[in-house]
Amino acid sequence: MKVLAALVLQALRRTRRLLIVACILLAGFQVALILQANSVQANESFAQMGNLVPDFVRDVMGSAFAAFLTYRGIVCLGYFHPAVMGALIAVSIALATVPVMEIENGFIDLVLARPLARPWIITRSIIVAFVSTLLLLAAMCAGTGFGLNALGLSEKDVTWPSASLIAQIALNLGLLMLCWSGIAMAVGCAVQRRGTAGAIAGLTALTAFLTDYVGRAWKPLQTVAWLSPFRYYAPFDLVMGDPVAWKDLIVLAGVAVAGYSLAYYFYSRRDISH
Amino acid sequence: MVPQEPPAISIRALTKRYGSLVALSNLNLEIAPGEIFGFLGLNGAGKTTAIRILLDLLRPTSGSADIFGHDCQTDGLKARARIGYLPGELGVYSDLTGRELLHFLERVGGSPVDKGYQRELFARFELSDRDLSRKLREYSTGMKRKVGLIQAFQANPDLLILDEPTEGLDPLMQESFYNVLADVKRRGRTVFMSSHVLPEVERVCDRIALLRKGELVLVSSVEEARKLASRRVQISFARPVQVPAQLPESYDVIESHAHNWVLSVRGPLGSLPSLLASYPVSDLKVEEARLEDVLVKYYRDGAQ
Repeated sequence: MKVLAALVLQALRRTRRLLIVACILLAGFQVALILQANSVQANESFAQMGNLVPDFVRDVMGSAFAAFLTYRGIVCLGYFHPAVMGALIAVSIALATVPVMEIENGFIDLVLARPLARPWIITRSIIVAFVSTLLLLAAMCAGTGFGLNALGLSEKDVTWPSASLIAQIALNLGLLMLCWSGIAMAVGCAVQRRGTAGAIAGLTALTAFLTDYVGRAWKPLQTVAWLSPFRYYAPFDLVMGDPVAWKDLIVLAGVAVAGYSLAYYFYSRRDISH
Repeated sequence: MVPQEPPAISIRALTKRYGSLVALSNLNLEIAPGEIFGFLGLNGAGKTTAIRILLDLLRPTSGSADIFGHDCQTDGLKARARIGYLPGELGVYSDLTGRELLHFLERVGGSPVDKGYQRELFARFELSDRDLSRKLREYSTGMKRKVGLIQAFQANPDLLILDEPTEGLDPLMQESFYNVLADVKRRGRTVFMSSHVLPEVERVCDRIALLRKGELVLVSSVEEARKLASRRVQISFARPVQVPAQLPESYDVIESHAHNWVLSVRGPLGSLPSLLASYPVSDLKVEEARLEDVLVKYYRDGAQ
């Protein structure tokens, strides 16, 4: 366990700058959205905004559309804005492809030449993925909490998202991140270069996102949209007040576990050569 | 009866293929504890492939290898617990300091590091506290090599596997390395090193193996290997003489002048005194065969 702790601490130490900057940006974005929601609420512009939205966007968002155009909806936007999701998934992919990067730069030669079993390297990366996911989501939740309590409009005037709603969306988003982390790690352990792994995982994520997004409005794509992990991230439904879809969470967790399992399999069998 | 210690390294029919490319072909090798063994070959001969299989970084296509009786694949943890390894190219995170890297590798290594010995290594390789506190990105190639050597030696392992250990070291540091190696040998440790620097191999190794295109073409002591090459004999005469029409089969004339011959002699020189007995020899110089000559012969001629 001392060896695993050394590996995890070293990996976290190396990623601390990335994580700190990402945490600050994400927390800041949550605060900025609350200020934006304050402004929209003050101008009573929610209805006006609704009229400006084209029909196909309403189709894409479905019944959640109405919920989104509320103070609560805008505050929660930071958890499903494409830029935020893209950034979080990019961080997940970057961290998940560290094992292949260490093969590429030769660092792992020094580590694995010691009495250390290969699976520890994957275990370390999974722990780092969990810790970084928790930190990023905690920073976002902290940003929302701080923004609402310090800068938000009074709960007498507007409806705040409840802490449990934020926690549920964060849980769903966290599992989406781990799902992509698992996919990227499996790809990374099967290829020779981090760039290849990042490109495959990144393009797969983009394709999956577009498949889900377009599939919500365009019927032909709906037959394959279930393949997209984004289909199982349903923040709008939660904002609408629906209960957590445990099935979605299980699917995301299942993909993550399958990805990590494949990563163990590939990494333990591959040649470590650069 | 005292049980016999297993070989430090035992390699049996080891083969590694990458598709149609054979990187290593049916390698068989045994290295006794306490030996300093030189592993030689041109770039791409398969030296690093063999080393990486010993460390279980590469998986062989067929064959097996043991370290002190532990199979490198199935019992790799026990095998690697006794190894200190210096890779040919030291891959490091450049944002770590030298000290952080050594500390991290000590922690993942599992074996305790004697701080006194570690300090001795710092002194011998002239790495000051200030150097060790600097980021690795600020290190020169030679300094990185020194850190690489220290991390390999610091846990005082039973077997050192060193891939091109003096690459990038200046002559003074090479000398320090040879001294450390001599100490290691005195303590009964085994060293398996690949090198291109043949004078270095001649100086420090007990035995050598030569790989060519993945195949082992020579395993021998350094002394025996030298005997495989021709020696150059320069003979000067007090008055002009002719080279005899019939020379022993192992003799070749390289140059012949009235007062001077240069001969190439394979094998023992026993017949030379009787050959020259009737000649007015004024001077005789025998140049010892160099290991380099043997290796060049093996590579150029494909000798077996």
